[in-house]
Amino acid sequence: MNMRIPILKLNETLIVSIQWELDDQTAIQFQEDLLKKIHATTARGVVIDLTPIDFIDSFIAKVLGDVIHMSSLMGAKVVLTGIQPGVAITLVELGIRLERIMTALDLENGLEKLHKELEE
Amino acid sequence: MEYGSSVEINTEWDIVAARQLGRNEAKKIGFGTVDQARITTAISELARNIYLYAGMGRIEITCILQGQMKGISIIASDEGPGITDVRKVMDDGFTTSGGLGAGMPGVKRLMDEFNIATERGVGTTITAIKWLR
Amino acid sequence: MNRELSINVSHFMDDILMRWQERMKEEKRERFFQYMPDEVVDKTSKEFAELMTSNLSASAEVTPEKLKEFAEKVVRFGWSIKFVNKSIEHFSDVTFETLEEAEVINDSNYRTYMKIFSDWISPLRNSIIEAYSIEWERTVSLQKIALQELSASLIPVFDKISVMPLVGTIDTERAKLIMENLLEGVVKQRAEVVLLDITGVPVVDTMVAHHIIQAADAVRLVGAKCMLVGIRPEIAQTIVTLGIELNDFTTTSTLRRGMQEALKLTNRKMVEVEAK
Repeated sequence: MNMRIPILKLNETLIVSIQWELDDQTAIQFQEDLLKKIHATTARGVVIDLTPIDFIDSFIAKVLGDVIHMSSLMGAKVVLTGIQPGVAITLVELGIRLERIMTALDLENGLEKLHKELEE
Repeated sequence: MEYGSSVEINTEWDIVAARQLGRNEAKKIGFGTVDQARITTAISELARNIYLYAGMGRIEITCILQGQMKGISIIASDEGPGITDVRKVMDDGFTTSGGLGAGMPGVKRLMDEFNIATERGVGTTITAIKWLR
Repeated sequence: MNRELSINVSHFMDDILMRWQERMKEEKRERFFQYMPDEVVDKTSKEFAELMTSNLSASAEVTPEKLKEFAEKVVRFGWSIKFVNKSIEHFSDVTFETLEEAEVINDSNYRTYMKIFSDWISPLRNSIIEAYSIEWERTVSLQKIALQELSASLIPVFDKISVMPLVGTIDTERAKLIMENLLEGVVKQRAEVVLLDITGVPVVDTMVAHHIIQAADAVRLVGAKCMLVGIRPEIAQTIVTLGIELNDFTTTSTLRRGMQEALKLTNRKMVEVEAK
């Protein structure tokens, strides 16, 4: 039952759309896959779209936070997009702040933000 | 008119099953999307705690009625080692598993009522309730 | 016996009512009998008397509807529960005295009447007080809802910029509602910058600040920026005195300045156009 999250490449950017509820295994697998892909493609930016996700618990938040940190160590900036109101509120109430993380309303805004960031 | 169902927590996959059950139940009771996220997340945290610290246990999800109030109750119980220092567990930032340490105080903030009953070597029962507004 | 009481009470009703009203007027700190127009006082008194005597005659009973109606009325008039209790007490006393003076009650039947009175008044008092407290709770919960509705709405002012004016005291429950409205609004209106205007918030203590910081954090997570505007001098003072960290925030004293910042953030500015 191991599903892999597809990672698409568009020029220098990787695009990930998480379409279903993440279980622990899938989340960890995703972390590994993304880092490998960054290494293989030398991408400088990643957009992870979370629009369909209706909750994020502390474990998934940690995996996401970690992968963002790891990506930046490898020279790739990550933008999280489409975090739902309920997800944001829950994270904040849990005490998970995900500081210094770039976010955008949706994929389009995210790509825009990323390009601006990479130009500077 | 109280009814409920439960999920045994033995594997990592059961965490997913528990939160799916919770999400459906919350939806049925009439919680909005934000509260659904709160309830699902709380269940996920509680179920993961059982899996990590006790190895096995169960999550019971019940629709409750009290006077004119309707709500959902989550009971997480295990026969694990119990919690040595409840106060410490309720401290923000305390963790023994290498997570983010959001754990129990986080769950308490997500829900309206929260109660821990624990005994060393006997087990732990956590009850958390969210009321429909 | 009950019947006898019923007949006598209705016979002396006008007398009883008059005395009762007089006695109620003597009650200090009760404005109802002193300031309300006479006809309102008369009407309410009659209704009260009716309610009080309704369980005396066998034909008419104290119906839940009547109780509810009466409770609704007195709650609206602002009668306190103490005052309601006093009214019942006075009514009972006045009736007893009137009947005693009319020699309906005399030494021979004194004990019997005492018993009848207590059987009459006690259950009535219970049900009136109960109806009153139910009505009171309902009023309070309605007010709570009204307050929540007034709570906070996010107003889309410009493309990408929305404003949420906050008015009144913020408690935990309201804070949650505000946060939900804010976040859902941001996503729906596709706002990139939101201005939280706290001009109308009387007190910003650690808890309120905490809620505001949480809201701003959540706004950041959905991909927008939250600015805090309308910070009055005394609010700035308390924030610093309490050691509340608002460093992650852009804050401005007025909504106008905040709006300029917001426009700048979204690469726009306001310009005056020359008059034709």
